[in-house]
Amino acid sequence: MLKGRNLVLLLVAVLMVSSFNHAVPTQAQDSEPAIKALPCKEPGTLTMWVWDENWAKVIGDSIEAWKETYCPGAEVDLQVQPWDQYWDLLKTNAAGGELPDVFNVSQDRFFFYADNDALLDLQPYWDEYGVDTSLWGAGTVDPYRWGENNDLYAGPVNWDTIAIYYNKDMFDAAGLEYPTADWTWDDFAADAAALTTDDVYGALTYLEYQAGYPNWIAATGTTPVVEAGRTSCTLSDEGSLEALNFLYGLFEQGYMPDVTTVGGTSADDAFAFWSSGKVAMITGGSWKLPDAIAQVPFNWDVVQLPKNPETGRSRSIVHSVGYVAAANSDNADLAANLILYLVSDEGQRFFAEAGGVAPASPSPELQQMWIDSFGGEGKNIQAFVDALEDSQGVTVFDEIWDAMNSEMVTQIFDLGIPVEEAAAATCEFIDSQLPQ
Amino acid sequence: MVASVFSSALKLLGTTPLSRRKAMWGMALVAPNVLGLMFFFGIPVLIAFWTAFQDWNGIKPAQYAGFEKFELMQDDPYFETSLKNTIVLTLYTVPAGTVLALGAAVLLNQPLRGRSFFRTLYFLPVVTSTVAASVVWTWIFQPRYGIVNSWLEPLGYGETKWLTDPDYILVPIAAVAIWQRLGFNIVLFLAGLQAVPSILHEAATIDGANRWQRFLHVTLPMLSPTTFLVVVLGIISSFQIFDQIYVMTSRYVPGGVRHSASTLAYYLYERAFTGSDFGYGSAIALVLFGLILLVTVIQLSLQRFWVYYESNEG
Repeated sequence: MLKGRNLVLLLVAVLMVSSFNHAVPTQAQDSEPAIKALPCKEPGTLTMWVWDENWAKVIGDSIEAWKETYCPGAEVDLQVQPWDQYWDLLKTNAAGGELPDVFNVSQDRFFFYADNDALLDLQPYWDEYGVDTSLWGAGTVDPYRWGENNDLYAGPVNWDTIAIYYNKDMFDAAGLEYPTADWTWDDFAADAAALTTDDVYGALTYLEYQAGYPNWIAATGTTPVVEAGRTSCTLSDEGSLEALNFLYGLFEQGYMPDVTTVGGTSADDAFAFWSSGKVAMITGGSWKLPDAIAQVPFNWDVVQLPKNPETGRSRSIVHSVGYVAAANSDNADLAANLILYLVSDEGQRFFAEAGGVAPASPSPELQQMWIDSFGGEGKNIQAFVDALEDSQGVTVFDEIWDAMNSEMVTQIFDLGIPVEEAAAATCEFIDSQLPQ
Repeated sequence: MVASVFSSALKLLGTTPLSRRKAMWGMALVAPNVLGLMFFFGIPVLIAFWTAFQDWNGIKPAQYAGFEKFELMQDDPYFETSLKNTIVLTLYTVPAGTVLALGAAVLLNQPLRGRSFFRTLYFLPVVTSTVAASVVWTWIFQPRYGIVNSWLEPLGYGETKWLTDPDYILVPIAAVAIWQRLGFNIVLFLAGLQAVPSILHEAATIDGANRWQRFLHVTLPMLSPTTFLVVVLGIISSFQIFDQIYVMTSRYVPGGVRHSASTLAYYLYERAFTGSDFGYGSAIALVLFGLILLVTVIQLSLQRFWVYYESNEG
């Protein structure tokens, strides 16, 4: 009996892990919309929170279209709560029982609200609307599945993957060929060495969870930081140590700057360091494309993350912001209908055309529209789409964020604490935060 | 019975009808403030007392937890670190802040040119937002590009990682706290200095006391009530340092590597909001409250040994 149960558990675990592999959306037909918007049953009033000004504009436009076509008479009070205060405000409002009807969450924060029954289960609505939720890439929606039946609690807004942003001028000056998608860690290390000069670092690829070291751990075949389902810390696993020691080796050789030199532990700090010409290669998210196109003064391009020589895999972290609804919303049906519209092909078109973040829609047409939205810049935008093919869903959560996102990194790449020691200390903390 | 209570309450206000009426006016005038304070401060404080004995993550209904949250502190290394840091920051900021303010106040009390300009200048940090000031000080202490390390370079300390190294991180936080409180303390000391009767200085001069002796034996004792006030308020405010830590560590490691920059005020925020344990956060707040109360009571009882109130001597 026990054996049988273990086997089932193992199977579930294997399923969960493998389901985090992102399937490139191909099923959708060209003519039929992949996800169809439907009229609301009864108009009403909703409040909605987002954290990004630019998103608020795009989402505001799509809400207008929803009201006009699908739900005349509905009112949506769309509010921007800046990122710095977003989560504290959300928590405070949750405590007061006053969550907005619809709001954005990230995958690492989703657990807390789902765990406390604060979110509306959208699965009945997906079923009612006839939405096949498996159309979305697993990495974009699986972290939003919850409960015994793996119900989908969120509608995905977008997807983000990671690639290497490199300074072409520096490659030219060093007489190096531009990297291609089939390069390996060894090629990357050799390039980093060749690109390093007295004024310029070769690479900076360890900063932050989403853009940094976890991508390298994922390429070894290990789930970075914590296993899916928050079961165990993986930072002291063989693959993690291999990746961290690889990065530390480059750091020790002086090819990578320390945290103090970069001036912060965020991926934005790394991006600023790169765009000011102090480092040749960084890991960066697809969401930085608009900034890079607008601001970067030198020739640059993007290329997929290098492949781990043993596994032959290049594996990017993938993240998707979600639209969720409050469990205690007075207008749950209306909230679900708005979310359906926002994730439908029609609603997602606004994001595809805006040329910022990539729309989560499984429609190949919209994906192409997003790539085209960057115009004739001649950048290898496709690298981010290709990265979806073998990508790693987010498994970390709120309580361990600082410990693994900045604290361990600073210990290793600023204070010179040995990789094994820093990883073990971080794991000790993470283990104490895992659900019992 | 009721009547006697009422009349004795009236007596508290004053013994004559006129003084009573005056007192009533005073009460009426402070009432809006007192009511506001009770509403926006008193009620949250009471709720915090209640929350400290609950298990509450902010969403699910609170469950009575007894002293569980207080027991949690005993095995929590980060609580211990935060308590230690709270005390260390007090030791860094209060003595240095008091001495610096006294020195500056003595200088500003001299009849020098542009005195009011300098007084304003020293007071500016007090009215500056702590967040903005902390951002600027983060640049000053930036190890690679900041001015502090470029000054320390010749001394061989140009590589000090003020913002990440657990051994140093409290120094920049203390620096901002001292700097920002300086103006307030100077104003208190200036008022104190101006209240020292010049007749005492004249008498001491006639007795042959030099400048230093006059400062030591006339000014300082006469200033002791002010010094007492500065120290008491300084300790209370140092126990509550939060913004500086929040801002100065947010770019690197929030709260510092291994909580090296975390104080009780910071840790209670972290436990309540990041850790979603409002009960534990409130319990830490109660400990902080108890600590401040204890230290203040000790200071009040010790003051008779060193604080000199002229009026007491009659």
